[in-house]
Amino acid sequence: MEAGSSPARAFWQGVADALKLPAWMLGLSMVGVGPLARDVGFSIGGAVLSSLLIFAVPAQVVFFGMIAAGSSLVSIALAVTLSAVRLMPMTASLMPFLRGPGATRPKLLLASHFVAVTVWVESMRRLPHVEPALRRPYFFGVGAACMASASLFTALGYLLAGSVHPAIGAGLLFMTPTFFTLSLVAGARLPADWIAVGAGFLLPVIFGAWLGPAAALFLTGLLGGTAAFLVEMRRKAKPA
Amino acid sequence: MISSGALSGDLAAYLALLVAGALPNGVWRWATVLLTAKLDDRSPVFIWVRHVATCLVAGVVAQLLLLPSGALAHVPIGVRFGGLVFAVAAWRLARRNILIGWLAGVSGLIAAASFY
Repeated sequence: MEAGSSPARAFWQGVADALKLPAWMLGLSMVGVGPLARDVGFSIGGAVLSSLLIFAVPAQVVFFGMIAAGSSLVSIALAVTLSAVRLMPMTASLMPFLRGPGATRPKLLLASHFVAVTVWVESMRRLPHVEPALRRPYFFGVGAACMASASLFTALGYLLAGSVHPAIGAGLLFMTPTFFTLSLVAGARLPADWIAVGAGFLLPVIFGAWLGPAAALFLTGLLGGTAAFLVEMRRKAKPA
Repeated sequence: MISSGALSGDLAAYLALLVAGALPNGVWRWATVLLTAKLDDRSPVFIWVRHVATCLVAGVVAQLLLLPSGALAHVPIGVRFGGLVFAVAAWRLARRNILIGWLAGVSGLIAAASFY
C-alpha cells in the first residue's frame, strides 16, 4: 500500500489501487442502472449523467423505478433522499482522513461527492496506511477511477439491456454484496467492529419482518452502530 | 404536483434528474462536510459514526440478499447466503486475498445458479 511520495503519485496510486477491484465492482453494480434508465425513455447520455451526478446505485434505482411507476417528482425526491441518509455516517467517518493540511471547503465538498459504499469500504481499509498528507490526493484517485468506471458500465448496461444468461445475471447482482462483505470482514479488527458487522447482517432479518426496507436499514444502523460504539468505549475506559 | 409520467424531451428529463435525483441524494454528503467541520477528529462522535456506517453497509448487504432484484431473486436464499460463506472461506484460505475470495464466491454462485 505504498502511496508514492508526491500528491500526483498518490493520486495515481489511488487510481491503480481502485483498478485492482473496487472500481470494477462499482462499475458492475451500475450495469443495472442502464436498462432502468432506458425503460423510462432516458437517452444513453442521461443514464451516464445520472451515474456522474448521483453516483449512488440505490438512489438511481429509486429514481428510475419511481419514474417508471409514474410517481410525482416530489415523492421521488423524498424517496431518494431517504435512500441517501446512509451516506451521512459514511461521509462523516471519512472526513477525518481527508481534513489534512491544505483542506479547503470546496475540496472537501468535491471529495464528499465520491462517497459511495464501494469507495467508502475501500478507503476505510486503505487510508490508514497512507501517509496523512497524501490521503486526499489518494482518495481523489480512487474516486476518479470509480467514477470513470461507473460511467463506462452504465453506458454498457444501457446498450446490453437484458441480453445476458440468467445465471450470469444472478452473478452480476451477487458481485457487489460479496465485495462489501469481504471488505468489511477484512477491515474488522476490534470486537466492536465484529459487533457492527454481525448486527448489520442479523437485524434486517428481524426488523424486515415488520418494517419496510428503508426503516429496517435505518434502525439497524442506529442500534447496531450504537451497540458497537458502547462496547468500544467500555473497552477504552478499562484497558484489561 | 408535477407528474413524471408527463416527462417529455431531454430537458425535462435532465431537470428531473437534477431536482429529484442529484440534489436530494447529494445534500447528505454536503451537509455532513459542513456540519462536521468544527468537530474534533478524535471525538467519540466519529467512533460512533464509523460503527453506524459499518453496520449500515452490512445491513445493505443483508437486504440485497434477503430482497434481491432481477435474476438473483430466482436463486434460493440458502444459495445466496451460502455463496457469501464460500467467498469468506476462500478469502481466508487464500491468505486474506480479497480478489480470490470474491472470484470464488461469484463463480460459485454462477455455477449454482445455472441449476435453477
